[in-house]
This record gives sequence, C-alpha cells and structure tokens, in this order.
Amino acid sequence: MPAKPTPPPVPARFQVGKATLLMDRFMNQFIKIGGLSVIVAVFGIFIFILVQILPLFRGAQAEELKAFQLEPGDYVQLGIDEWSELPFAMQADGDLNFIDVVGDRGVMTKTLPFAADHGVGAVQYNQLAQRLAVGTRDGQFSLVEIAYRPTYGAGNARTIEAELKAGDLLAIGRPGVPVAMIGYADAGARKLAVAKQIVDGRMELHAVTLAQRRTLMGGGRITLDRTYNLTGLVTGTIDKFLVAAQADSVLIATTEGELIYLFLDGGEFYVRQRLKPFAHLPDPRIKLLNYVFGDVTFVTVGMNGETKGYSLFLDPAVGSRQFGETKRFDARPGATEVFAASVRNKAFLLGTERHARLIFSTTETVRWQQDLGFSVRQAIIGGKYDRMVFLDEASKLHFFRLNDPHPESSFRAFFGKLWYEGAPAPKYDWQSTGGSDDFEPKLSLVPLIIGSLKGTFYALLFAVPIALLAAIYTSQFLKPEVKTIVKPTMEIMASLPSVVLGFLAALWLAPILETRVPSVILIVTLVPLTALAFGWAWTKLPPRARLAIAPGWEFVVFLPMMFAAGYTAWHLGPSLERLIFVVTDPTSGQRVADFRLWWPSVTGTPFEQRNSLVVGFMMGFAVIPIIFTIAEDALSNVPQSLRSGSLALGASRWQTAFRIVLPTASAGIFSALMIGLGRAVGETMIVVMATGNTPIMEWNIFSGMRTLSANIAVELPEAPHHGTLYRTLFLGAMVLFVMTFLVNTVAEVLRQRLRDRYKTVE
Amino acid sequence: MPKRDFLSSDVKPAGESWVWVTSMGLGVGLTMIVFLLGMILWNGLEVFWPKPVVQLELRPGSTAGLNNAPVFGGEIVKSQVKAVQALAADGSPLPPQREYQLFVGNKDVYGFGYKFIDEAEIAARSRPADVIVAERLEYGNAIFRPRELRLADGSVLPASAPAFDDVLAGLVRQGNERRAAIRRIERDQIGGINRQLEKIRLERRAIEGRGGEMSPADQRRLADFETTVKELQAGYEQLAARARELRQLQSVNRIVYATMDGAERTLPTGDLIDYYRPNQLTILSKAAIFAHRFWKFLSDEPREANTEGGIFPAIFGTFVMTLLMSVAVTPFGVLAAIYLREYAKQGPFVRAVRIAVNNLAGVPSIVFGVFGLGFFVYVVGGTIDQLFYSLSLPTPTFGTGGVLWASLTLALMTVPVVIVATEESLSAVSRGTREGSLACGASKWQTIQRIVLPASLPGILTGLILAMARGAGEVAPLMLVGVVKLAPTLPLDSIYPFFHLERKFMHLGFHIYDLGFQSPDSEAAKPMVFATTFLLILLVVCLNLGAILIRNHLRKKYKTSTF
Repeated sequence: MPAKPTPPPVPARFQVGKATLLMDRFMNQFIKIGGLSVIVAVFGIFIFILVQILPLFRGAQAEELKAFQLEPGDYVQLGIDEWSELPFAMQADGDLNFIDVVGDRGVMTKTLPFAADHGVGAVQYNQLAQRLAVGTRDGQFSLVEIAYRPTYGAGNARTIEAELKAGDLLAIGRPGVPVAMIGYADAGARKLAVAKQIVDGRMELHAVTLAQRRTLMGGGRITLDRTYNLTGLVTGTIDKFLVAAQADSVLIATTEGELIYLFLDGGEFYVRQRLKPFAHLPDPRIKLLNYVFGDVTFVTVGMNGETKGYSLFLDPAVGSRQFGETKRFDARPGATEVFAASVRNKAFLLGTERHARLIFSTTETVRWQQDLGFSVRQAIIGGKYDRMVFLDEASKLHFFRLNDPHPESSFRAFFGKLWYEGAPAPKYDWQSTGGSDDFEPKLSLVPLIIGSLKGTFYALLFAVPIALLAAIYTSQFLKPEVKTIVKPTMEIMASLPSVVLGFLAALWLAPILETRVPSVILIVTLVPLTALAFGWAWTKLPPRARLAIAPGWEFVVFLPMMFAAGYTAWHLGPSLERLIFVVTDPTSGQRVADFRLWWPSVTGTPFEQRNSLVVGFMMGFAVIPIIFTIAEDALSNVPQSLRSGSLALGASRWQTAFRIVLPTASAGIFSALMIGLGRAVGETMIVVMATGNTPIMEWNIFSGMRTLSANIAVELPEAPHHGTLYRTLFLGAMVLFVMTFLVNTVAEVLRQRLRDRYKTVE
Repeated sequence: MPKRDFLSSDVKPAGESWVWVTSMGLGVGLTMIVFLLGMILWNGLEVFWPKPVVQLELRPGSTAGLNNAPVFGGEIVKSQVKAVQALAADGSPLPPQREYQLFVGNKDVYGFGYKFIDEAEIAARSRPADVIVAERLEYGNAIFRPRELRLADGSVLPASAPAFDDVLAGLVRQGNERRAAIRRIERDQIGGINRQLEKIRLERRAIEGRGGEMSPADQRRLADFETTVKELQAGYEQLAARARELRQLQSVNRIVYATMDGAERTLPTGDLIDYYRPNQLTILSKAAIFAHRFWKFLSDEPREANTEGGIFPAIFGTFVMTLLMSVAVTPFGVLAAIYLREYAKQGPFVRAVRIAVNNLAGVPSIVFGVFGLGFFVYVVGGTIDQLFYSLSLPTPTFGTGGVLWASLTLALMTVPVVIVATEESLSAVSRGTREGSLACGASKWQTIQRIVLPASLPGILTGLILAMARGAGEVAPLMLVGVVKLAPTLPLDSIYPFFHLERKFMHLGFHIYDLGFQSPDSEAAKPMVFATTFLLILLVVCLNLGAILIRNHLRKKYKTSTF
C-alpha cells in the first residue's frame, strides 16, 4: 500500500491552547476526586455511627499493673479508697496495712485502738461509707471510719492519707463472748447491727438497733436503742448472714442450705421467707452468699459451682416483697469462692481457685475472665470500677487495671428481655436514668422500636387510603387542567415543617379530639358511606341526568356532601356518646356518658389526651403527600396505549383503572407505601410534641408511645459524651438509619424495575 | 333490529360508584391542606388585629368576677359551648351553655392573663371608650381606664384633660428613646469593655501558663494589663452610673389608672412601650395598628420568656443558618452530581450509588443530628478547641453546638436533595447539545462549564430551593447541634470578626417548639406560637412554591426542546 501523504500541518487556530488543556485536565481530576469524596463523606455517616457504637459490644479488659508482697499473715479483709491509690489489707489481729500502690511510701500499718484490749473477732467492711464494723472478742462492737483524705503537694501532685477513727465500743449479744461474725447497715434514721456468737458450741444471733442524735454540727453520738435475740427465729445452724443496706432485714444461710429472710417491721423481727436455692443438688449447702450493689439482689453459689441471683420483688400472689430467682450466671466448679461487688454498678467479681471472672448482674454476662497465676484469697473492686485488687495465698497483693466503660450493655440488654431488680417478671424496658446511685439502667430498644412501628402503623392506617384514593382519582379521572393545580397543592402539604404539625397536634388537635372521639368515629364511618351511597344512587340515575356532571369534576360535587356528612357526624357525636359510651362513675354511682371513662372501663387500657390517634392524624399530613405524589406518578406513567386498549375493548373507566392501570403500577404503588413508611418511622418532632413520650409496649390507639427518633431528641442533649447512654442512643440512630435505608432501597429498586417494564411496553 | 340508544338506562358503566369513593380521597386531602393553611393564616394574623375591650357587669351575687368586683373586662378571645353540661336538680342535663374566654391582661394584678366566664353570669356588656390597652415591659399587656398622670414636676394631669393624650404619647416616646439609650450603654459599650477584659484575662493566662522565669517583656505586659484593667473598670463605673441615672429617669413620671374591676394602680410611664384605645379605633386605624404590631413582631427582640416582643433573632438565625447551609451544600452537591452523571462510568455500581444517595434523602433527620453532634461538635469542634482555643478551655468555643455545625449538619442532610435535582437536570440536557459542543472543539470541562451547567441551572436552583425549604423547617437535628431558646447575641454583627460561626442561635422552628412546650405560661404564649408558625409556614411554602413553579416551567421548556 502506498504511504498516505502526510496531512498538511494543522493551522495554529485549530490547536487547543495549553491553558485550556491544563484547565480541562485539572477540572476532570478535581471533579472525579471531589465528587467521589463527597459521596464517600456522605456514606461516612454510617461508618461514624458504627464506630461510635462498637465499644458497646466490647467486653472488659484488665491487666496487672503491680504486685506487692505483704508480710505473711491471716488477712481477713481488703479495702480500697475511692481513688484506688491506697488499698489496705486487714489482718485478723486488727492491723490495717495500707499499701501505697501509686507512690513509693510502701506499706503503712495502722492498728485499731481497741484491738489490744478487746481483741478482734469479726469484721465487715462497707466500701461506699469507708467504714469497718468490728466485733471484739468480748461481746462488743465498734464502727471504725477510715478517713481517706487527698492532699495536694507541689505541681498538684495528689497523695492520699488515711486515718482510722474508731467510734465507741457498744455491747452486742452475750457479754464477754467473742463475736464470730458481724454485719452492720446504716440507712440514716435506722441503723442495725447483727452479730453471730458461739455460746457453748451453739450458734446464737443477736441484733441491736442504734440511735443517733442529730445535732447542728452533724451526727452526734451513736447509742444503743433496742436489742434482739434472733436465735429463736432460726431453725438449723447459722452459717453466714447478710444485713441489707436498708437496715431492715437479715438474710441468714444455715449449714443445711436454707436461706431465712428476717424482716424488721414495727420494732420486731419476723420470718418473711424461707427458701432453699440448691434443694435439687445432692449437697444443698450454700457456699457463698452476697449482695450486689443496691442490696436488692443477692448472688449465691452452690457447692457444685452453680451461681444464681435472687431479687426482691413484689409478687402479687404473695403480697409482700420477697426474693425470687431472677438470674442464672455462668457456673464454674471449684473450691475457693471469693466475692467482691462493685460500688458503682451491678457488677461483681467471683474468684474460683486460680480463676477470676467479672459478671454484670443485670445482663448476666461475663464481662471479663482470666486464669490467674495465683489462688485468690481476697478481692475488691475500686470505687470507680477501674481497678481490681487481689490477695493471693502467699500474701501477695495484685493490683489490676480494669477498663470496662460500658458494663450495662450487651446484645441482650438492647434487644432481649431482662429481669430487672424489683420487677415481677422479665421485660423489655427503657429507662435510662434514675434518681438513686444504685439505679439499674434499662436500655432495651424494643419498646422504642415498637413505639416507632405503632406511630407508623396508625399514621399509615389513616394516610394510605386517602393518599391512594386521591392518587387513583387524580391520575385516572381528574381533568388534566385541574391536575396541574391539585398536584402542587398536595405537594405543598409535604413541605409543612413537622414542628408546626407537632405543635398543632398537641395544642390544638389533642384538646379537641379528647372530648370528641365519638364524633371522629362517626366521621370515619359516615363520610365513606356517603361516598358509597351517593355513588350507588348516581348509577341509578338515568344517563341523561348523569351527563349533568362532566367526568373529572366528581370531587367538586362531592366536596359539599363531604362537608355536610362531616358536619352532621361531628354534631351527632355527643348523642352517640350518650347512647353507647355510658359508664357508671364508681365514686358517685351516676351514669356518665364519657368516652374517656368508657374506654378504660371496657378495654382496661388507659385513655390519654396526647395519643396515637392524634399522632396518626397529624403524621398523615406528612405521609399523605409523599405516598400521593409517588403513587400518582406511577399511575400516570402507565403507558397510554394500555389504557386506550382497555377502553376500546369496552371496559368502563373504573374497570380500566382497577384492572389494567392499578396492577401495572402496583410495584410503584408499593414503593410509594414503603417511602411513606420510611418517612413515618423517622418522624421526630410530631411524636416528641404530640405523645406523652412514655416507652410502653401496647398497641392501644388512645395511649401515646416513645419512638426511637423522639427518644434521641429527648435524651441525647443530656447524655454524657461517650457514656453508655450516649452510645446506646447512637445505636438507636443506627437502627433507625438501617430500617429506613432498607425500606427506601427496596422501594427504589422496585421503582426502577417498574420503569424498565414500562420501557418494554412502549 | 331496534336502534340502541346509548343513553338508555340499561347501559351502566361498571364501578361508577367507586369513582366517587376515590374522589373522596382527593376531597379529604385537599380539605386537610386548605383547612390547615387557612387556620394558621387566620390564627397567625388575628394576633395582631386589635380587638375591642368589653366591660362585663355581672349578675348580683355572682362570684365569678375578679377580686370580688361586680364588673370586669377584657378582650373576648373565644366563645364556645361549654364542654361539661350542668345538671338540673333532678339530674337531667340542662340545655347547653355558652362561655367566653377573656384576655383580662394585668397579669401583675391577677396572676393570670386569661379567664373563662359563663354567659349566665353576665348581666350587661358595654364598651367604654376611654379604655387603654398598653404594652408594657413586664407582665404582658395592661388593660385599664386611665385616671391621671403624675408628672415629675409634681403637677397632676387628669385623664379628662384635653392634653392628656399628647402628654402621655410624648412620655411613652421619651421612655422608648431612653430605653434604647440604656440598651446602647449596657450592651454595646459595657459589652465592649467586658470583651476587652476577657481578652486581657486570656492573654494573661497565656503568659502565666508558660511557666518558668518570666521575661522582662512579659512582666512589662503584665504591668500594662494592670493599668488597662483599671482604666477599663473606671470606664465601666462611669457607664454604669450613666445607665443608673437614665433608669432613674424612667420612673419619675407615673400614670395612675384603674383596672377594669376598679382597683387603682400606678405605673411609671417608662415601663410603657406602646398603647392604644381599642374602643375608639376605626377600621383604618386598626389596620395601622395591625401593621405596626406586625412590624414590631418581625423586628423586635423577645421579652418575658419569649412570650412577648418580637422574634427578630429567630428570623435572623434561621436566615443565617439557611444561608450558610446553602453555601455549603451547593458546591458539594453539584460536584457530586456532575461526577455521577458526566464522569463516572455508568454501570451497576454507579446505579447502586445513585439509589443509595436517593435513599439518603429519606433517612430521618434526627440521624443526621446525631451524626452532627458526634462528629462536628465533639470530634471536629473538640479538636479545634484544643488546637486554637486551649486557653479558654474547659469552656468550649467550637466544641459545643453552634451555627456552623448546625449549617453543616443540615447541609449533609440536604445534599442528597441537591444531588438528585442536579443529576436530573443534567440528564435533561440533550445529547445533541453536548455533542455539538464537543464537535466544535470544546474540551469536556468547557462543555460542562459553558453548555451543560447553564442549561441545567434552573434545575440546580430548584434543588437548592427545596433543600433550603427543608433546612429552614427542620428542627429535630438542630436541637442537638446548637439551637437555643434565647441567644443574647446574633451570629452576625458589627464586632470583629463579624461572622461568629461558633455562636448558638435562635430558629423559628425551635421557637415554636420552645414556646409551645417549654413556656411557663403556654396560654400566654399561644398567640406568639401561632404568629411564628404563620411566618415559618409562609417562608417554607413560598420557597416550595418557587421550586414547583421553576420545575413546571422547566418541564414545559424541555418538552418543546425534545422535538
């Protein structure tokens, strides 16, 4: 082939300027990178929220920081200050060895002042009050305050000083007999001390109540008030006992494996409950018995390692607050059992031989467990739930750091049923904050999800019929010229800010509807009936008469009839109320016609002013236009050829609409419903304002609810940054995000499918 | 074969009655929206229309009055049939009764502003001509009949004197001017001194925080600070004295009046903001008062826990926030849309991204609020504070909600709206136009810049307006990222650096929520809520209508251009 002649040189005017090319290249890159990063950033929301909630599902971590060798001895009690810097180990002879685990002061020994003269028989330590109750060997006891005090040196360096402040010796039980075990509780006005003594080889249990005179300068002297001998109330041999922090009860374990719950009421003790937690075992004895923080739940371990939790709750069948088995913890066979409860939350530490595990009582989950290189004799958890101290068989003190920021969380806590303290049965509950320190946060998202679904259900119940009917009418029967006005009007409805709808719902609609429920019932039945009846009558008219109204103008004719029906129904409401919703007032015995009283008396569910009916109606304003617009689009986009074909074959306009257009557009209509559902699920302000925001789990239309979104709006501003509640609310946001995103995606995919199908028809 | 008459009665189109049922759907929907808009319009505007004050004489022996007086009065706000029916002696219900709700004003006297009265208790009604409705600094409006003016020079001017009105009007004007002067002193001048003091405090902390030996320069500066602080404090004393003096003057003239139930009260004229005689007004003067009150509502700052005064800071806050949001959302939204439509390879992946972006518009706004709080406020804001504002820590500057974070959060929320709208309008630009441009030798960017973007500008604008409307009406995410019930300062003012991105702000939507639900006296707040609602709806509906109009206009344009 002959070589082509080289083309003549390109005139300069056809050459692209360098600047243009450069700019083009730059912009191409810029848009690619910029566009991609915007899209990535938008989806970063998902990642960010996920990162925020991940720590919730992490267990606790612990690591040994230091170990200290103490003098060998018989250590009976460990204690720790609230900063976890100066723990102590108490010896049986009354010496307290304070160990400086942060600085270099080493071990400092302080002796109980009365130990030399009276001896030490038993001791009980209260970590929260930093108080030791010490029973002597001669039938007395004393309350010893461990006064921890921070002092600040140069450069704000903190050192903790400790000092022992022993109170008076008070008599308990038989004089001169050693106290073998002691328990003490101080509930402010009531103080109770209980001691076990061995008299001639027989176990005796004695209690005293104490009185303290209040003075302007704080607490005065503590004096004895009343004495009790509890031995007679106990059948069997007393093994161990617990005094509840409420200072109103003693829980006794006998060597026969029976628990006896003594209650102090009206100045006398009586047996409120007896139970045998391990009656099913060959060896029913109780190895370990301890309260977790709050002293409402106790943990007990059987001889085979079985670990159970019992909680106080009011059983309607019994009529008084009694213990019932509420928890089962993971069992571990072994010899030694060591127990330590956190004073910050419901966590407790169990030491079994050379193993320790940290369990959170509420959720029954093991937060942390580890095989230790030593056998645990004593253990304690730091006051801020950030340190653990173990004492091993060789008198070595092991100081652990504990990192568990979210002990209350677990998958079960968020989505499962939990048996909370004081509740007669396991339940789903949301109550994130409470009044007292020993409050148990209830973080179940289930009531909130149910609340969201409930609001959505009632909103859709109202909105779907109206929106779909309107969409069918607008797309199939309405005159196109009118449609250009009607459709934007309905779309304006979508733009109403939800705060406005919420305000109107709560302050305007709720008070009106409260007294007019019968009217609403009438309207809901009468208006559609009018439409049906009129439509039926209309078909009975001679065709010439029917020509009076041009097709496409029906709704204009119907409007006045609708108003008339609505008006009549509204005013007939009170009559209906007097006719049907009559209830006998229990106080006066009069017959009252009031729906608000009738509803609870018949269904047993409450009637609230701000209820789901109000929310459903107002949310309709938000949902109707969305469903309407999308459904109308889907219906209008059905190819004209299909409609024409149907009409040409002799079908009526309704038959065409119902049998041809509706099935063809069904996917689009379904997607409209999904998108409407997504909007209703996430709606926040209407629900915040127009419901009582109580997290309940019932579907009663006349009560409120608390939705996921409202919960976030109400609680997140107050939630401490990076706390459990904060992250749990993020989890709620995540659930909401995933729910709406999934629903919307399904809807969108369906819509795209539908669009493709139309393409093939055309 | 007989000829068939198609209009004979045996031809019945099947399902015609169902058509009527579907028409009900449209009827209900339209009624709902029209009724709601109408109600807000009526309730929102009615607030500003001066109502007559009626004086009610009660039946002898009636105890329904105020302070046991036989007469009282106020503006009738509502008249309704009593919900609870009274029973006759034998237990049968009596015929329904009417009751009126009156705005009685004078909250300082009665402790409440509204009162219900049964029609049965009323013996006679009248409209005394001399009644005055006065707007006051505290306790809401006063409704009274004037007795006399006690002037500073000791003279007394009775209400019957012909000069009374002129003198009172003059005093009220003087009072308003003086109040403005006090405000200038306290807010601008004393505020300026406080700002300087705060600056010195921070600088001093910076010098002291360095530790170690202080250089002579630093010591000199510290000494300088001492003298400046002294000067500033002296200036402050002077200004405070001046403000005290002006405040004293506010209460030298007093008006003596009788409330509608006859109790006599006095009030410094400096406490009056405005007054009118409702029973002497013609339609024109009512309209003038209406316009004046509406303007005051738009331009004033709120008083009395937001239940009185205006809502200017809320309007301004909404405006600034929406503006910032638009500035943030437009470039990013358009950029992403151009990428998706013009650059990305069309395939299943881009299709999936497109669906996902579309769906993001349906994700609840509160989720974006949660993200805004967690990311913008705590992460970004916290970092900025540590890097640049460490001196004022632990008081957060950017590490707390503010107008910038609120705008960015809303921008993120509305960016899908802009992306979708922009993409749609980009795809509407015909292929022929693009190819024509490319054939003429334009580069890809030049085609986009000169041909595609201008053609799709109206579409982008529609998206932006829709985004603004959504942003302006959204409240839930704002509650988490910086909106407050009362902001003492505006996010934009005359103090350097003018635009205070870290400041908290007020917002119309949140104002409604706060007034309706957090207000101590929700009855007194109701008119304000309705008026604010009206304004917000007006704003949002106008934005949306604009968007719809542009869209419809565009559709027509595209329709013709396809042929």
